[in-house]
Amino acid sequence: MMELREDIGPLRRRTAFLFLLVFATLGLLHLRLADLQLVHGAQWRDLAENNRLRRLPLPGPRGWIYDRRGKVLAENVPSWELLLFPDEAENLDATGLFLAQAGVTDVPTFRDRIAVRRIGRMAPLVVGEDLSWNQVAAIRSHQSDYPELTVVSRFRRHYPYGKLTSHTVGHLRPVSKEAVEADPRLEPDSMVGATGIEAAEDPFVSGRAGERWVMVSAVGRQLGVVSEVAPRAGHDVGLTLDIELQKAAAEALGERSGAVVALDPRSGAVRVLYSAPSFDPEVFGGRLSRSDWQALQEDPLHPLQNRCLQGVYPPGSTIKPFLALGGLAEGLIDPQTTVYCNGSVVLYGHRFRCWRRGGHGFVNLERALTESCDVYFYLLGQRLGIEGMAKWLRRFGFGERTGFDLSFEAAGLIGTPEWSRQVRGAPWYPGEAVSVSIGQGPVLATTMQLARAFAILANRGEPVSPYMVAAPPETSTFEDIDSEDLALVTAALGEVVHGPSGTARRIARVPMAGKTGTAQVVRLQEGMRANELAPELRHHAWFVGWAPLDEPALVVAVIVEHGGDGGSAAAPVAAQIVEAYLRQAAPTADPPPSPLPVRTPDLPRSTESAG
Amino acid sequence: MEHRIDPWLLLAVVGILGASLMTLHTISRVVGSNLLLRQLLWGLVGLLVLWLMSLVRLDIYERLAPVFYGFGLVVLIAVLFLGEVRGGNKAWIAIGPVTLQPSEFARLATILLAAAWLAHRGGRALRVGDVTIAVAIVTVPTLLVVLEPDLGVALTYLPVLAGVLLLGGLPRWVWILLILLAVLGGHASWQYVLKPYQKDRVLTVFQPERDPFGAGYQVRQSKIAVGSGGAGGQGLGRGSQSQLRFLPAQHTDFAFAVWAEATGFVGGTALLLAYALLLSRIAKVALTTDSRHGLILAVLIGAWLVFQVVVNLGMVLGWLPTTGVTLPLFSYGGSSLISTCAALGVVQSVWRHRLVNQ
Repeated sequence: MMELREDIGPLRRRTAFLFLLVFATLGLLHLRLADLQLVHGAQWRDLAENNRLRRLPLPGPRGWIYDRRGKVLAENVPSWELLLFPDEAENLDATGLFLAQAGVTDVPTFRDRIAVRRIGRMAPLVVGEDLSWNQVAAIRSHQSDYPELTVVSRFRRHYPYGKLTSHTVGHLRPVSKEAVEADPRLEPDSMVGATGIEAAEDPFVSGRAGERWVMVSAVGRQLGVVSEVAPRAGHDVGLTLDIELQKAAAEALGERSGAVVALDPRSGAVRVLYSAPSFDPEVFGGRLSRSDWQALQEDPLHPLQNRCLQGVYPPGSTIKPFLALGGLAEGLIDPQTTVYCNGSVVLYGHRFRCWRRGGHGFVNLERALTESCDVYFYLLGQRLGIEGMAKWLRRFGFGERTGFDLSFEAAGLIGTPEWSRQVRGAPWYPGEAVSVSIGQGPVLATTMQLARAFAILANRGEPVSPYMVAAPPETSTFEDIDSEDLALVTAALGEVVHGPSGTARRIARVPMAGKTGTAQVVRLQEGMRANELAPELRHHAWFVGWAPLDEPALVVAVIVEHGGDGGSAAAPVAAQIVEAYLRQAAPTADPPPSPLPVRTPDLPRSTESAG
Repeated sequence: MEHRIDPWLLLAVVGILGASLMTLHTISRVVGSNLLLRQLLWGLVGLLVLWLMSLVRLDIYERLAPVFYGFGLVVLIAVLFLGEVRGGNKAWIAIGPVTLQPSEFARLATILLAAAWLAHRGGRALRVGDVTIAVAIVTVPTLLVVLEPDLGVALTYLPVLAGVLLLGGLPRWVWILLILLAVLGGHASWQYVLKPYQKDRVLTVFQPERDPFGAGYQVRQSKIAVGSGGAGGQGLGRGSQSQLRFLPAQHTDFAFAVWAEATGFVGGTALLLAYALLLSRIAKVALTTDSRHGLILAVLIGAWLVFQVVVNLGMVLGWLPTTGVTLPLFSYGGSSLISTCAALGVVQSVWRHRLVNQ
């Protein structure tokens, strides 16, 4: 026994040492447990909460946009969208490859999207839009491999009339990253109005986003809704626009570049606002990069420009009626004042030509308007002087914004000596005033400005402000224009269409009055004919007028870029629109659009429909 | 003279088993099979095995050790050819309705042979030749398990070798040499043996935020589960980490995290105390027996169990890399449970026959 004990002694010592070590280690593990659970328990608990909860933003649907008859111009259509929770992904590269294989996106786009849009808020990103059923099925069947992906049913903006209304209704764009970072209510994928009504009425049309907290399993399966703040839909907007007339304008312009504005002179309600060439507004509706966008920006025809409001052109002869009214009011001319036109006149040592080479012979005011005699207006302009012309043009709204609902409106230009010094930095030449008298030189106007100016004529002097959504406050006081002068000028404008030698007699079948204009892009060289010019240097063709003759209900302003002669290029376009207008069964009362727009033009319906 | 089975050890075993069954019950729905019933069955079989093994006298174990060991090697070789593949490892053999993991049982055979050999050669310090034999006894089955390849189980063979060398007594220079060899071997295996994902796991221990969604994912989820248990726990079956499947391998490797999430620091401490009780009873057996063979057996078995406990808890608590070492008596798995019970039965045999002169 003794021997055995001694033999086993060293073993016992080692055993005791070993087990001491063991209990020390267990003690350390227990300390670790205490550290995790007692000291930092609350932090880990927070992490556990975040682990299982996911925040799904619920975009507020935008309001719909209608035309005056309740035709839908902008609506929301269902779309399967693919959301990515980038913070939950194990391997984003693998996810990108999977999505590329499923045909949802391509790897560079996917990477860009994450790099550009990811913000530090655990917010999901839209990485696929308008998914097909097959794509949805492919993603759902791999849900457990990619728990960071979720297919949700949302809405996509759709414009049923596409190109027809892209400058009017506008389009959307993704909100800028700076805005998202500044405003916690915005999601990285929020869309906001970029142009047109979508932009102008954005605060009204856009909905308010909601959110939903859902409990998810580790494989991304939704287990239940924890809390939800419902999104609020934006308000619908009814426009004064008449989509049938808009269509007529587009058809009449055809392939040519130009702009058409039509409005009701009695109220200022805009019926047509069409700029050509146009573009597909849904190119911008997506959040993902599209190459079409680049093409649109680089197009030499500038389809993105809204020519109705942003296009400034020399108005040409279309401003003659206003100068005539000025001359009459100032007593510089009277209806009987006669000028002899032999085709040109020399003023300030420079020969100014009339458009008719042989001259008009003796012309009074009525003939000067009807046949658009340039020499008559050169002499009138000389008498009025540049300040006098500027005063009368301003009185009809030239040189300033009309205050129309849409943004980015151009102000146009009325050149004066003061403007020349301050802006142009060059001296004013008296000869420039002579050019201004026929709407050339330093005078520029928008189609919208011309439509409004003619609406004042059509109204027998009543001022009016164009609008498309809500009627603007009462227009600023307007000095009365002598009604006899007005009657004289408007009668002459009737003769432009219906007179035997009117410049727009080609459209004499239509009961309208108006004024043609042909604005030079380049000065014609001696002996050269206008139709010999290269297409991009040809004159701009204008026609602005109203119908019907006695009770004007529609003012139409048309410019055809490089269309040539106003009478032959622009007037027929206006005529087609007016014909379409007259064909419409005069609506006895605007039928209530269905569903009823929440916001309608602040205008008594009886007035609206009187035409 | 025979003694009763140590009631304290039995209490520890039953306590751990009870906690395990409760845990498995709460995650049966998540894992998708009735773990409770099967583990209960295995537990009862295990207790029976424990009792049966405790009846066998030590000299019989000594005599049968080479037979067990040889049989173990044959089965380990057989499993490489005939085994079933699960989770990438060819480690299972099906016998009728049950599938067994031979590597779990071969370890006990290895312990029996190593203990018999060491007891037989007496108290002299180990020489180079002895060390070679000891290394061979443990390494041959270990390599066979590595071939499966079941790294987690293979690791659990190493403490057996360490125990043999420690008890056998080595000159100091050999220990230094061994440590050097371990460092070199570790470096070599890092360079040539470990697969990239395994390297990731090791690196993640030192830099947990290195890759929170890759290799660090499991450890991170485990720490979240344990930490969110707090002081009193979230209640059985209420832990979000386990119920929502964020926790990986929750019925096997990370079972302790489920328990800690559900019962908090209180439950975790209780379970740790149960393991401490278990190990202290094994220590008591080792320190009170007069049999050299019995002491060696108790120490080797204790070394193996404590290694598994420490490595598993170290992993669950975020200190050690994920290795696939399970928590003995607690993680789900019949083979592991029964082999552990069998080993404890051997320890109890030492206890019951502690005053029996060889």
